[in-house]
Amino acid sequence: MVSPNDFKENIKKHLSQEFSLEFLGDDFDKIVSFISDTQAEKIYSWITQILNKNIQPIVIGSKKQYKDWRVYELLFFRKELNISNTEYRIFFIKVKNSFYIEFHLGKHDYYDKLRKKLDLTKRNY
Amino acid sequence: MVTLYNPDNMRKERIEQAESILKSLPFKYCFITGSFLFKEKYKDIDLFIITRSKKEINPAKINKKLKITIIDFNDLYSLFYHSVSKSCVAKNILPKRELKATLADYWGIINEAVPTILNQKDRFHKDIRYLILYTEYFRSSQILDTHELNKKISEFKNNSQILDYISKNTPEIITKNANISYIKRFFYTQAGFYKDSSYKAQRLLYELTHSIING
Repeated sequence: MVSPNDFKENIKKHLSQEFSLEFLGDDFDKIVSFISDTQAEKIYSWITQILNKNIQPIVIGSKKQYKDWRVYELLFFRKELNISNTEYRIFFIKVKNSFYIEFHLGKHDYYDKLRKKLDLTKRNY
Repeated sequence: MVTLYNPDNMRKERIEQAESILKSLPFKYCFITGSFLFKEKYKDIDLFIITRSKKEINPAKINKKLKITIIDFNDLYSLFYHSVSKSCVAKNILPKRELKATLADYWGIINEAVPTILNQKDRFHKDIRYLILYTEYFRSSQILDTHELNKKISEFKNNSQILDYISKNTPEIITKNANISYIKRFFYTQAGFYKDSSYKAQRLLYELTHSIING
């Protein structure tokens, strides 16, 4: 099992950026504590692939404001995570040609709320 | 009371099992659909519950194979609900609302599907359900039920085939269902968001917006 602090530090280390990355989600630390070492390694490797531009982002053509940015200025990277038959979603957000700003981890209901804020089409599947 | 919606392809013994599961649930509106009803081999039993309650339900207490999806009453107008409830075993008569599906929603789905398909390589089948559902609806005005949708999805053997399906059908669908001024206004703006991207997904979407604009 992974310690939430180690998990966050490892992700920050991969990014090595000056801008402070925010870790967000209902029960973020609790969910991280359920992640196995193997799953954590897969998440770090996914982040490396993102940094190497091997993962395709979602770009949403919306002028809606999201914090300090417009939604179209952001890149979204999504990953599914299954822990003991419960589905979680990781949503990693980067400003185009700039910093990574947020790392979200949560269950379906948290993910649905986030999708709404980012003007993503509602999905049930 | 249990209601059968379009039961033609359902297995008789599964209808009985579905009835018994539904009767044990404390919800007025719930239904079972998916491979459990139609195929000999199945992975999950897809149970849908229409409720306003936020209370968590533990499926393992009822049946270990149950996979529960909660549907809010606000979602009854969606293409998703119209599809999953088209052929199912339901407790009571299910509530119906008029379908609302827009081209902007459809484009949102394509926009998300293209990078997902490229990332998933050949494990994309789960992620293209919305894409196929919307494409077939706008292409032929037909709402696919879960059985028809699974059958259609299984026709795609690799991600190139599904990307070809998008490039072939999307421009035709948009030009057939929207007027030229809307197409030019909406898709020129969209093209601007993908322009100069170093990612393959956005380059493909950029090309797609251009073939839509050019009819």
